[in-house]
Amino acid sequence: MPPSDVTAQIDDLPSVPPAKTRFVAQGRTQRKMRALLDRIATGVVWVGGLATILSIMGIFLYLFKEVAPLFISPESESQATFQTNMIEQPMDQALAIGIDQYQEVAYLIHKGHIEFFQVPSGEPIPYEASQDPITENIVAVAHSAGRGHQYAFGTDDGHIVPVEVGLTPTFHNDIRTIIPTMTHDTPIRVDPTESGIATLAYQETEAGFAVVMVSQSGELWLTVLGEGEGLMLVDEPVITQTRLATYPDGQVTTLALDSLAETLMIGMSDGRLLHWNLQDPDLPQLSHTYLLPNASDRVTALSFLLGDRSLIVGTNKGIVSVWMPVPTEGSGRPIPYKLVRSFTSHDGSVTHLSPSRRDKGFLSTDSTGQMFLHHSTSNQTLLEMRVGDAAIQGLMFAPKANGAVAFNADGTFHVVNIDNAHPEVTTETLFQPVLYEGYANPEYIWQSSSGSDEFEPKFGMWPLIFGTLKGTMYAMLLAVPLAVMGAIYTGMFMSPQLRGIVKPIIEIMAALPSVVLGFLAGLWLAPLLEQIFPAVVGMLILMPLTVTAACIGWQFMPRSIQIRGQSGVDLSVLMIVLFVTILGCLMLNTSIESWLFDADYKQWFRSVFDLHYDQRNALVISMAMGFAVIPIIFSISEDSISNVPKHLIAGSLAMGATQWQTLTRLVLISASPGIFSALMIGFGRAVGETMIVLMATGNTPILDWSLFNGFRTLSANIAVEMPEAPHGGTLYRVLFLSGLLLFTFTFVINTVAEIVRQRLRTKYSQY
Amino acid sequence: MQAVSLKKFFDSGTLFVWMCGAGLALSLLMIGGLLALIFINGMGYFWPKDLVQFTLHDGSYVLGEVTGHEVIHDSVNADSPEGKGRIQLKVGNRDLYGLDFRWIDESHIQAQSTPTDVVFLERREWGNFYGRPHRVMQGDSVVASGHQEATTALFPLIDRANEIHEDIHYLERSVIGDINHEIEAQRLSLRALELEGRANQSEVATREQEVAVLQSRYEAEADKLRVLYTQLEEYSVVLEDVNGTTKELAVGQIIRMLQPNAMGVGEKVWAYLGNVWTVLSEEPREANTEGGIFPAIFGTVLMVLIMSIAVVPFGVLAAVYLKEYATQGALVRIVRIAVNNLAGVPSIVFGVFGLGFFVYAVGGSIDALFFPEALPNPTFGTGGMLWASLTLALMTVPVVIVATEEGLSAVPREYREGSLALGATKLESLLRVVIPCAMPGILTGLILAISRATGEVAPLMLTGVVKLAPSMPLDGTFPFLHLDRKFMHLGFHIYDVGFQSPNVEAAKPMVYVTTLILVGVVIILNLAAISIRNRMRRKYAGSTI
Repeated sequence: MPPSDVTAQIDDLPSVPPAKTRFVAQGRTQRKMRALLDRIATGVVWVGGLATILSIMGIFLYLFKEVAPLFISPESESQATFQTNMIEQPMDQALAIGIDQYQEVAYLIHKGHIEFFQVPSGEPIPYEASQDPITENIVAVAHSAGRGHQYAFGTDDGHIVPVEVGLTPTFHNDIRTIIPTMTHDTPIRVDPTESGIATLAYQETEAGFAVVMVSQSGELWLTVLGEGEGLMLVDEPVITQTRLATYPDGQVTTLALDSLAETLMIGMSDGRLLHWNLQDPDLPQLSHTYLLPNASDRVTALSFLLGDRSLIVGTNKGIVSVWMPVPTEGSGRPIPYKLVRSFTSHDGSVTHLSPSRRDKGFLSTDSTGQMFLHHSTSNQTLLEMRVGDAAIQGLMFAPKANGAVAFNADGTFHVVNIDNAHPEVTTETLFQPVLYEGYANPEYIWQSSSGSDEFEPKFGMWPLIFGTLKGTMYAMLLAVPLAVMGAIYTGMFMSPQLRGIVKPIIEIMAALPSVVLGFLAGLWLAPLLEQIFPAVVGMLILMPLTVTAACIGWQFMPRSIQIRGQSGVDLSVLMIVLFVTILGCLMLNTSIESWLFDADYKQWFRSVFDLHYDQRNALVISMAMGFAVIPIIFSISEDSISNVPKHLIAGSLAMGATQWQTLTRLVLISASPGIFSALMIGFGRAVGETMIVLMATGNTPILDWSLFNGFRTLSANIAVEMPEAPHGGTLYRVLFLSGLLLFTFTFVINTVAEIVRQRLRTKYSQY
Repeated sequence: MQAVSLKKFFDSGTLFVWMCGAGLALSLLMIGGLLALIFINGMGYFWPKDLVQFTLHDGSYVLGEVTGHEVIHDSVNADSPEGKGRIQLKVGNRDLYGLDFRWIDESHIQAQSTPTDVVFLERREWGNFYGRPHRVMQGDSVVASGHQEATTALFPLIDRANEIHEDIHYLERSVIGDINHEIEAQRLSLRALELEGRANQSEVATREQEVAVLQSRYEAEADKLRVLYTQLEEYSVVLEDVNGTTKELAVGQIIRMLQPNAMGVGEKVWAYLGNVWTVLSEEPREANTEGGIFPAIFGTVLMVLIMSIAVVPFGVLAAVYLKEYATQGALVRIVRIAVNNLAGVPSIVFGVFGLGFFVYAVGGSIDALFFPEALPNPTFGTGGMLWASLTLALMTVPVVIVATEEGLSAVPREYREGSLALGATKLESLLRVVIPCAMPGILTGLILAISRATGEVAPLMLTGVVKLAPSMPLDGTFPFLHLDRKFMHLGFHIYDVGFQSPNVEAAKPMVYVTTLILVGVVIILNLAAISIRNRMRRKYAGSTI
């Protein structure tokens, strides 16, 4: 390096202050100060730098921390166990228990008496009946599914008494107290046989209630309290009473009514399940009869899950199973139920089933004191607990599904806390097909919410991953050829001056905000493409032809013009040729449509390939996202091509190889790791792109490779659903999981690309 | 002979070179076309177009701005190989017609003209009106009647109404807004005292008294406001569309009146510039589809500023650590690769992180510690300016680190050694020699970070951007800079207006304008970064070892 250069550079240095005043004359204190400052600065840089880097790395850990609770198995903890003295002789039918939503007050109903307990101390709460106490002799209690604590007490003279237990929280000075109450209605006669109530099912409805009763004589009666027929001015409640059937000899073991009182399930001691359709209370019908798989089993407990679409069945062998209406070809209404899944078996006979009021989970208890927590959608037994050693006589899932109360035959009352925040998520429900309520087969479905609380959330991630891959693939199909070819041309055949113009243009392309591309793709390109699709097909076919023609034509140009090709004339020629081709195709749009697609391409695709054209589809994404990815692939590929040592190329050309031979046999091979890493990084960008797919696809999570319909990607899914996701909920964490997947995926891809690139760099630095 | 030369031609690979060139040419055409599309549509929005009046065969008239033309699908057949065309017209008058746009088959048109006496009214509600003023009324008495007279009489009245609107705006925003703010502050301080258990009788009484004073001040101002509102109703104008349907409108509802067909080119240019200024300086109206985008510009700029303040120190510190202090080894190399790769992590992931960590975790804790009196309304526990800026800072910090490191690497070792040899400590040579030399690199990093942050929308959607912010994050109320407030953003404005608005067709021009501004800002920033980088490269070219 000539010395003059050095001085020139040093002169260029920004404001290095005159050295003499600063560095020459100074005392020892000053020197100490400087040393101290230096040490402090070193500390600051170490701490600050490390902290910055660690906090960036912390993102991964934080995402992980938010996701982890999804996969933590639920836990239970006994909150309270206390002895009660109410039981003289345990009688299964006449007993019910419950707890309020804050798990502060529990109650025990037995033979018409109620007792409230403070939880966890177990101290009885003094309670005075607000109305006349129930004096009749209560022989049965039936619980109505729903939000509140509603029961029907069956009396020994064939009446029922509708009862409501109230556990109302009141606030005074921000301190919460639960006020327990019990109110009851006038008794209504439900047993015309006068033989006594054997089994009872009760359900409150909008208009009144429905009661199904099996008498001691085996007759099955339905009593419905509903609205009158509307002819009267004031709709008097009307009681209709229908005898359904007779099942002698105590065959009926248990009954279950759904929350609309439209379906009645009867469990029989011979292992039969009877499915009655009560939609028309005047014309109840026995629709179907099902058999337990093992003929010697007895049905001992029945209940509907939240939403009334799944039936849970417990048997005397301790088997707990879920039955669902599975629609099949030709199955009429109501759709017959099928056994779809079974859970871990109990040691003893199943005594009670209690569904959660929050999700598709439920509790089951048996005659040996075991209590299991199952979840239907995720097909797993989440918890196995033990509440005493004797048979469980009463059971209720806490209203918020975060606890349970159980009453043991030895007179002990158990309150259990259950920490079970995300029961519906397992790796199976996330990544494998699941049989959801109302579907005929296990499927991959993403449907996180609906208007109803009773909805079964479907967190199948595969449609989203599929959508991500689909979008990425179509984008890469367009971007890779264009970008790599452009990079080869720029890096290999272009003059440095021209390269200095082209590269910044492409880099600016990279900087275009994706929201802009998304907007144009969704509002400009998508409608336009719908009109000019035939022209686009025409371009695909014609462009290679016109370029070839132009190339051959160029060979016949005078030599003097050809030489000037180096300075970009040929590029301009190409641009003009392509521009004319595009314009021509656009003008011939309708003609192309009639030549290729029978004058209506949508109809043609539908009839020939059975493809339906949506306006916002993968083709639009392919162009818009391709546009976003091209500059990334281009820049990195171009870098690696122009970094191939010049003397190697010169050597190759000097040996007589043509430019094309030099390119394919030397440059591309040397640059291939760089191009590979370019593709990887482009791939990573396409995978994570959010705004374009959010705006230009229909965001429908479907599994279909078709170019003509939309999809939903992981990233767009986050953008769509995150603002609505309650903090800490399952959806929130599943979306964090999507984020974590995206993070991991792009991070791994980029790392591979980076390592490949670094190896390339070391490989060629030796030349 | 021919065959041989053809084979030679293929072997030479010239065709493939041309194909490669075609790939590049197509990419360049795409970007050129895209920029042209944005530019033409964005700039065209401001131009006051002529109002065209069509006479249809059924004798009715249609008046509006021509906005598009297309060939009717399925109309191409043997009889008419060209197909039939139709014209898209913005007819405005949403209150009369229901829709702003109308398609007219060319075959239905009998005649076409541009009458000079038609006016274009920009209204506060119901979009534009195209037609003629019929008479101007003051209460029930007619002030001016006839098209020409009414138009002339209307201009000063509109100016007056706009002044009243400014007064109203000042009263509502500044005066009454301040009073409301003070009342809220009193309420919160009372609640804070209650929470601390120090709310004694006298404290409560003083505060209630102050609130009563404020309340009476509020009443007084509200009276003034009512007077102003009645003034707006004083004059009204009866408008007439081209078919003679009339509509009475208070002059206070009119923002602007133009007679585009009577304007010369000079006037149109003037109106064009006026439109540009309106868009840049005014607040949006009508669900963001009309008016200006000033709050979005302001929000974007402020967010980027705060982000820069956060990103530069940390980015530079980390880069200096990695390059100058850390022992270069495998670990540092891994860290470098990891940091580099974070730049490629999708932005939405940072949004998710920002929502979970900043908004819920940090913001929630801040609320519990410092703003318990406002709970359950979150102060920092919800998306806002601060969290959005920090999220973007986190997203762009790898960019700054990488660029700064590149800048530091470009500083020749001789400079460092020379400085140390002259007796400077490491800190001194860093501050006085190395960092000044690496400044272009740092600047490039910052500009690239800003350019990326300006255009990014996805993470903001989760951390605090809104379609319409009630108040700016920077205003005259103490403490002036409200980092907890939600804000508007150009990119989100595009998404929201283009995809969430009920009348997308009417909103499109506004989206194009916003797009143009956003793309303009991003391109300018990138060009700046590129030119700085090139200067830096030239400066240090050849000076390594």
